[in-house]
Amino acid sequence: MPAAAYEKVLLPNIEKNETEWLSAYQKGGGYTALRTALGMTPEAITNLVKDAGLRGRGGAGFPTGLKWSFLPKGVGPRYLAINADESEPGTCKDRPLMEQRPHSMIEGIIITCLAIESQQAFVYIRGEYYNSAKVVQKAVDECYAAGILGNNVLGSGKRVDLVVHRGAGAYICGEETALLTSLEGYRGYPKLKPPFPAISGLYGKPTIINNVETVTNVPYILNKGVDWFKSFVHEKSTGLRLLCVSGHVKKPGVYEVPMTYTLREIIYDICGGIRNDHDLKFIIPGGSSVPWLLPDKLDAVCSMEGLQAAGSFLGSAGMMVMDHTVCPVWALTNLSAFYRHESCGQCTPCREGSAWLHKILLRIETGHGQEGDLQMLRSIAGTGPGTGMICGRSICALGDAAAWPVSSALNLYWNEFEEHVKNKGCGYKNKRFWMNKAGNFVNDAFAHKPTWGHAAH
Amino acid sequence: MAILKNRHDEIEKLCAKYPSRRSALLPVLWMVQEQEGWVSQDAMKEVAEIIGCTAAEVYEVVSFYTMYNQKPVGRHHIQFCHTLACAICGSHEAVGHIREKYGFDEGASISRDGKFSLVEVECIGACTEAPAMLVGETLYGNLTPERLDEVLNARN
Ligand SMILES: Cc1cc2nc3c(=O)[nH]c(=O)nc-3n(C[C@H](O)[C@H](O)[C@H](O)COP(=O)(O)O)c2cc1C
Ligand code: SF4
Ligand code: FES
Repeated sequence: MPAAAYEKVLLPNIEKNETEWLSAYQKGGGYTALRTALGMTPEAITNLVKDAGLRGRGGAGFPTGLKWSFLPKGVGPRYLAINADESEPGTCKDRPLMEQRPHSMIEGIIITCLAIESQQAFVYIRGEYYNSAKVVQKAVDECYAAGILGNNVLGSGKRVDLVVHRGAGAYICGEETALLTSLEGYRGYPKLKPPFPAISGLYGKPTIINNVETVTNVPYILNKGVDWFKSFVHEKSTGLRLLCVSGHVKKPGVYEVPMTYTLREIIYDICGGIRNDHDLKFIIPGGSSVPWLLPDKLDAVCSMEGLQAAGSFLGSAGMMVMDHTVCPVWALTNLSAFYRHESCGQCTPCREGSAWLHKILLRIETGHGQEGDLQMLRSIAGTGPGTGMICGRSICALGDAAAWPVSSALNLYWNEFEEHVKNKGCGYKNKRFWMNKAGNFVNDAFAHKPTWGHAAH
Repeated sequence: MAILKNRHDEIEKLCAKYPSRRSALLPVLWMVQEQEGWVSQDAMKEVAEIIGCTAAEVYEVVSFYTMYNQKPVGRHHIQFCHTLACAICGSHEAVGHIREKYGFDEGASISRDGKFSLVEVECIGACTEAPAMLVGETLYGNLTPERLDEVLNARN
């Protein structure tokens, strides 16, 4: 159902692409929620966030207030780590949030620190986001100068410090335990859970990890109230969400929407339909790790529950849309290269599994598929979540993320995969790999005339 | 300290931000790279002394994170995204265009005149502006052949 007119709060002026610095933010009512929060108990703030039904925007959708309440009572120091590693392909919302509304995130961070009784927060920003790190650092400096951060937050006597920390190019550091090991100055290796970070996290201390967008919602919940937040609702998905729509739509972009629209409304109304009025082939609705959806699922509601009912996940809300020119075997080969590259290598099922998935897919895609390859892919990736040789057998969820797209693509496009094996290659025009005389796979980028650029508007 | 000489105060301030000195390892490596363009073995030894760990431990970290350059790069370092959203919007063709037009020998990562270096990287978080690339620290999206040439020709 289309939503009635609503006010956008997270990125109201995204087209302008300007940074809202401290004075402008305060003129628009910024840091009033922090003043309110300073007059509340930690439990009261946490309960408000629980009542609003805020769920994590980083991917897993875990209830935020509930997560905060897992911290053991009376144990300190406690840390807050903000996940700004945003590396899930298709996802690009935390970057505009940090670059355009850094103070809105910082206000959310300070309030979260009050709620979880932490005096030290870190923002872990992926290395590629040079500009985000600069903008956030400058906004943090403004806050220290204005007495909003530091030993005496707005004269309350409370202390909150905030450190901006940059990653250096590793998708895995978005996984919460890897983020913490990276922040401690080591290789970003995930850890087995339990213990969960709420019990033993950064430097072995109780730690909460939240996504940028998650904490940025908190000031608005305080200012506008729980009822306002819950006025945007589909089942248990409340509030507004930054949806990143990329690929073959006419108007790709980051859209702030309630989770009540159907995929059809998002693709055809909000994003103007498919470029060149092509046919829609498939949708990857929640970041590259989630199962794919065919056009028969266009009426699914784009909420956490709606997409789960359709057989996928809203995940990080990074939606990639493919038109009929995209070969599913080629697309899957591209994604499996990503997971192979980003596997941290710590555990065998993921390290070897992601590599084998990619190797087999690459040979199928390039016309060197062998009999039994599809069965082998199936046995490694499984038929769905929880099956196969990787899912549920690795330290972190990257292993599952490498397998899910494979099992889903095989379920949806078995015939096309079979044809690739049988016909020794791809019937699509956009073939992009071939095998050279030395037997190495190379990219045939040279062979293509630059006819690209159709996504520009 | 030879490489980060005169930066002692800056480094100590950085280390003081963290409960553990080791946490300053990534930021100090960034300091090196921003100054030198890459992280040499000599730099790793120096950083090890600063942080108080072994050079091997520094190497372990440097070799894990893809953004630390272990070799010198061109004057302008291009990181071109080749993940799915960009790939379906022409990133492979764009990379081919750069290699051809800006003088890269087959397989080389630096142009013949040393002006540009090029790596294909995984998603850089600009998927709605595909195809996208970083040149140095600046992000460019919605690249067309014209816009790409405009951006690269403006560099020298
Ligand atoms: C492989 C992997 C990569 C992840 N990448 C990110 C990421 O880039 N950003 C993010 O916020 N969460 C990411 N997550 C989810 C985090 O582990 C964590 O659940 C999240 O940051 C918690 O914040 P939230 O509850 O506010 O969503 C990733 C998880 C996995 C398994
Ligand atoms: S599942 Fe993959 S990414 Fe996660 S710890 Fe194991 S090897 Fe590393
Ligand atoms: S896929 Fe290229 S920026 Fe995300």
